[in-house]
Amino acid sequence: MRNILVLSKRELQAYFTSPTGWLFLCAFLVITGFFFASMVGYYAMQTTELGMGSYSQDQFDMGEYLVAPFFANTSVILLMLCPALSMRLFAEDRKQGSLELLLTSPISTFEIVMGKYLGSMGFVLIMLLATAHYPIMLYWLGEPDTGVVFSSYLAMLLLVGSFMAVGLLTSAFTDNQVVALAISFSLLLLFWVISWADNSGSGSMGDVLSYVSMLSHMEQLGKGLVHLKDIVYYLSFIGVALFATQQRVEAFRWR
Amino acid sequence: MITVEDLSKRFGTTLAVHDISFTIQKGEVVGFLGPNGAGKTTTMRILAGSLGATSGHAIIDDLDVFKHPRRVKRRIGYLPERPPLYGGMTVESFIRFSANIKGASEPNAATRQVLHRVGLQQMSHRLIGHLSKGYRQRVGLAQALVHDPDVLILDEPTSNLDPAQRVEIRDLIQELAEGDRTVILSTHVLSEVEDICERVIIIDRGRLLTTDRIDALARETRRIKLRVARREPELADRLASLSGVVEVHEEPDGRFTLLTEHDIRADIARFACQYDLLELTGQERLEDVYLRLISGSGPDDPETTGTQEPVSSEQQT
Repeated sequence: MRNILVLSKRELQAYFTSPTGWLFLCAFLVITGFFFASMVGYYAMQTTELGMGSYSQDQFDMGEYLVAPFFANTSVILLMLCPALSMRLFAEDRKQGSLELLLTSPISTFEIVMGKYLGSMGFVLIMLLATAHYPIMLYWLGEPDTGVVFSSYLAMLLLVGSFMAVGLLTSAFTDNQVVALAISFSLLLLFWVISWADNSGSGSMGDVLSYVSMLSHMEQLGKGLVHLKDIVYYLSFIGVALFATQQRVEAFRWR
Repeated sequence: MITVEDLSKRFGTTLAVHDISFTIQKGEVVGFLGPNGAGKTTTMRILAGSLGATSGHAIIDDLDVFKHPRRVKRRIGYLPERPPLYGGMTVESFIRFSANIKGASEPNAATRQVLHRVGLQQMSHRLIGHLSKGYRQRVGLAQALVHDPDVLILDEPTSNLDPAQRVEIRDLIQELAEGDRTVILSTHVLSEVEDICERVIIIDRGRLLTTDRIDALARETRRIKLRVARREPELADRLASLSGVVEVHEEPDGRFTLLTEHDIRADIARFACQYDLLELTGQERLEDVYLRLISGSGPDDPETTGTQEPVSSEQQT
């Protein structure tokens, strides 16, 4: 356990010792800030217009019309940023030879994988926490549904958890960071859009594809409905990816 | 201390290491020699635990490397050919990180000590990426030493360094080898091995050639240089006709170089006295032994060597 902490601390620090980590954090906040501002503006305009009509304020819920779409946008940004954050995790160690240090130290493969995973998760957690001022502003402006806000953050956490796990896995397969980036982004995109195929697929096939898709498991969480099956989906997704990574790293010893 | 039994490693179809066995006593300093691609790095990586073997055993301190990897790794310090460093970290934070993952009992104290030991106190707050090769090599050594291992495995620690840095690192290794520490060192610089090591393990194409002591290897001199005052024309022929002499070369500076079947310096001296012997030296050094052993182990195993000659385009047309 101590080893995992030591490794993850190093991994987290690595994001901040180079400008890349700061740049990603900056870019993420600028883009989400832009989305948030324009959405609040749009929401305000619509409530004013509709308020003049027969609709009441309750029917135009802040959670459904502002919080949910904002986090849907944020998840797409994370889909693009996470592969770039995870690409170096193993690829860099392989390239510069520091993987040899990890493999010859008295630590287990499981500890190496978890250390790297938790360290990188620490960074995306900081990114997510940095968006906390948006919902806080909403409480100041109105009364958003707290359940929706919390379940949206839960959804984001599970989602980036899956993104980073896939990124970690692909990074262990190559010593070229750009290749790791391309493969993990393609894989994530596939898992993201696979539910679109269920429109053409008939019956059970469509159900399977929609169950596999990350996007379909986001829907309920985004509405503030926390179902166990969605959480189990993401946790097992992460578990499988981390297990595969561990097997892959173990294989370095047997090449 | 270290026992290697019938160790083999196969990469795909090539056999990198083939049934190697040797033992190294506690406190010994052993030079690991062989041409590029002989299997030195592979053997060292297997001992250090970053590579598994196809068959055979490696036992360090009565512990099997494959069965108790954690306990073995705690006793080993390994410096790969390319030092495993994080360029974005400062020297001190990197060494503290190494101390932590290698299970040093007091990471902070160990870090301070090892930085002092390898002469890096002045550099402790510099980024590793900004250091020169010589200093990076020191950081690599510090990383291998920080948990005070009983066994030190160094893969070409002085390659790619300038002559001054090379001497510095060599002296440092010599210091580290004092006491009870066992050191295995691979290098292409044979004079280094003669200076530091007591024994050599020479391998070629994955096979073990010798594990002898250096003085024992070089004792048996087969190359003799000779200078006499009275140089008569028939001297070369008479030398060649002596029993045990294989070849006689007359050097431009007037010396003779004799290649002999075994060490017959005394016989040669007795004979050369008739011609007023001025100088007689046994020229065999580690280099000669090495070259003789390497050239002696011809390409006998088709599995480990290259395939047949390529057919040239002229022959085809």
